[in-house]
Amino acid sequence: MSARRVLVTGTGAVCGGGMDPAAIFDGIVAGRSAIAPITQWDTAGWPCRVAAEIPDFNPRALVDDRKLHKLIRRTDLVGLYAAGSALATAGVVAHRDTLDPAATAVYNDRTGVYVGSGAGNFSNQYDYFPLMTDANGDLQIFGRELSNTVNPMWLLRTLSNNVLGHIGIKWTLKGPNACITNHSVGGILAVIEATEALRTGEADRAVAVGHDAPIEPQMVIYYHRLGLLASEALLPFDVRRDGSLFGEGAGALFLETEASAKSRNAPVLGEILGGGHACEAQGLIAIRDDGDGVVRAVTQALDDAGIAAADVGMIVTHGNGVWQSDFSEAAAIRSLFGNAPPPVTAFKWAIGHLIAAAGIVETTVALNALKQGIVPGIATLAQPDPNCDGISVSMAAQEPRSNVALILCRGFAGTDAALLVRAA
Amino acid sequence: MSGTAKRRVAITGIGLVTPVGNDVATTWNALLAGRSGGAEITLFDASGFPVRIAAEVKGFDDSAVPVPRRILKLANRSHRFALAAAEQAFVDAGIRPTEETATRWGCAVGAAMMTSDFVDLSATHDHSAPTGDIDYAAMLSDSAANDPMAFCRSQATAGVALLTRQHNICGYATSVHTACASGGQALGTALKLIRRGAVDHALAGGFDSMISPVGISGFCLLSALSPDNETPQRASRPFDLTRNGFLLGEGAGFVVLEEWEAARRRGARIYAELAGDGNSLSSYRITDSPPDGDGPIQAMRAALADAGARPEDVDYLNAHGTSTPMNDRSESAATHAVFGGYTPQLSVSSTKSTMGHLISAAGAVEVAVCALAIHHGAMPINANLVEHDPDCDLNLIVGTPRRKHVRVTLSNSFGFGGSNSCVVLRNPAEVDGVGAAAH
Repeated sequence: MSARRVLVTGTGAVCGGGMDPAAIFDGIVAGRSAIAPITQWDTAGWPCRVAAEIPDFNPRALVDDRKLHKLIRRTDLVGLYAAGSALATAGVVAHRDTLDPAATAVYNDRTGVYVGSGAGNFSNQYDYFPLMTDANGDLQIFGRELSNTVNPMWLLRTLSNNVLGHIGIKWTLKGPNACITNHSVGGILAVIEATEALRTGEADRAVAVGHDAPIEPQMVIYYHRLGLLASEALLPFDVRRDGSLFGEGAGALFLETEASAKSRNAPVLGEILGGGHACEAQGLIAIRDDGDGVVRAVTQALDDAGIAAADVGMIVTHGNGVWQSDFSEAAAIRSLFGNAPPPVTAFKWAIGHLIAAAGIVETTVALNALKQGIVPGIATLAQPDPNCDGISVSMAAQEPRSNVALILCRGFAGTDAALLVRAA
Repeated sequence: MSGTAKRRVAITGIGLVTPVGNDVATTWNALLAGRSGGAEITLFDASGFPVRIAAEVKGFDDSAVPVPRRILKLANRSHRFALAAAEQAFVDAGIRPTEETATRWGCAVGAAMMTSDFVDLSATHDHSAPTGDIDYAAMLSDSAANDPMAFCRSQATAGVALLTRQHNICGYATSVHTACASGGQALGTALKLIRRGAVDHALAGGFDSMISPVGISGFCLLSALSPDNETPQRASRPFDLTRNGFLLGEGAGFVVLEEWEAARRRGARIYAELAGDGNSLSSYRITDSPPDGDGPIQAMRAALADAGARPEDVDYLNAHGTSTPMNDRSESAATHAVFGGYTPQLSVSSTKSTMGHLISAAGAVEVAVCALAIHHGAMPINANLVEHDPDCDLNLIVGTPRRKHVRVTLSNSFGFGGSNSCVVLRNPAEVDGVGAAAH
């Protein structure tokens, strides 16, 4: 356990369930699902026609700088929005404005930016289709006509580190940074790496962001072909579950060392206690039945936090509705918590699977759950799978048994991450 | 997991697949001689493109990729380079994950930039968008858009999935991407993982291959590439007054990292200590470097501080040196700001002058070059420097490599998006008195 504490002083989130963590939490507690017919293209005849889109998606409402809209993608808009919300709730800019120029420069250099960036990047490539039609298979023509057809800034739109770069430019933050492109664990790893940067003194504060917009036609087809998508509903731990459903959105946490937060009397929302991450080494899609990676990630997180399993007050599972994923995750929880697990829940039935943003958005919701003393139920859990028995999931809300939440996150490449947070 | 005293990290294995050699020895000899990897593009018909040259990996054979054929289908060109370079690094290190140690091995990679292979994108165009506009109903029967193999190859996590599966790496495994800084940041990530005890060993590196119609196009549209189609071997000339863009390369570089004491106990050959990592954001513009070096300066200073090294301890800087007008000037300004009066004594070269720019692989390959410089006591040349740009007033290695005991090296990598990475290596003799070339 590290001597240096890492505090949460700002949060932001956006997804189909709402434009801030409290609204998303309220929707989940009320049993509202944001999963609805996909509006971005005509899905008539498609094997999966629903997802948790952000309703009335308005780029201007997410990022006010219109010039920027041409340089970034949908996933970047939501990432920048969530980051801005976290910085605003933390009061970062207002505080920095009180500093003299020399102190401001130090403040910027000592503020890190850690981003988990997403998965869907097929549609951006379609910008080449008109050129390919003109070329009709002749690469000589393709090369000659290139600059007449394709936007000169095309490559910049495709960068997976756009949110990182534009957070830096927009808010003049210049410290240590990372852009983690590790599928669904990206957002949680951004929190873990930002936490380590603060613990080791590499930075005094950092914004951690996870963002994704995977609802693309080619993504839907591929996930369906791989057997990962549900046909209609995402049913975590339910015997009827038949896969996951996409959501889109972003989450962000503003983290500070205790000294940084105290020096400006910052509002403290919570604390990052520890994290863990492990790999099952089965390839891109395959995972083990026994939840071995989850067990090891949680064990590391508990060690890192210096707490016992019994101290965990609630668990937010990955619970993505994929048969083997839920089954093996339940096995891991039984193995870690024996016959005394804390209340267990999942949020994806309501907000979909946000891929790189999943874990971090769910962390912001978990902080609200702890604050309110309510572990939301899984509203879809009408027929609990007996194979997922013994893990304290329920349709009804439960009460957390402490102010500590464990958030689980599982991604491609058999990667499993665990994060422990305490609410203030 | 953050300990109080920093654990030291040793580089004990290196693997390289580059435009100037498909292994470490061939690459190293080409870098010393300044034999350029630049040539006309052969991977596709580039005759109509504004830029028709690149530094391709040559004569690469899938037999160098240590995976079964059914797994090979999940690997695109950049992943194959990665699998080959990683295998070389394990063989070189003489250690691999075992059933007992697998959970104590980590993996951090700088992953390639592109999504679909051009052949798959073309197939989707031909089937689902022959007019240029997409017919979403047609996409349902599009074989490329329905091919799980094409999907697997397109994923940012494909490389780390293939590597961890192939080598049974069961600890912390991650992909990072900060454009041209990716490889350096991946090594920095791995360094931190071992330091904080998350793992004891790691495979770390980077891989990329953008020499495709869409990949080349992206850089052509930004006017980032040298248009010197008639003189491909001279196209990359970092710090030369006439430089006019970078030469696109491809490849992979991997290192095996081990906790220092454990490496010494097993009698491993240690190339260098992976001693420090610094990174910063320029927060200036997405593609441009600030003229005064702001951003890179903080990364270099942070890396030196992290390594516990002073500027005057450094003998060699492997510069980012892309050969674009802006980068080289900005990097020179940053180097002066960090090294001050010591700058004339600091030997500098950009090995991109020979290899071209390996994008997400660049940082990892160039850190490996620094390790070889320490190991062999030789610093490779900055090829193609004829008219030294007075705005880049650095002590550049010209003509022949400099041979001497190399104490500490720096490797810079700066990416689109403004991420700056600096990685510091230290000669083992400077750590515990056991020389780099003693084994």
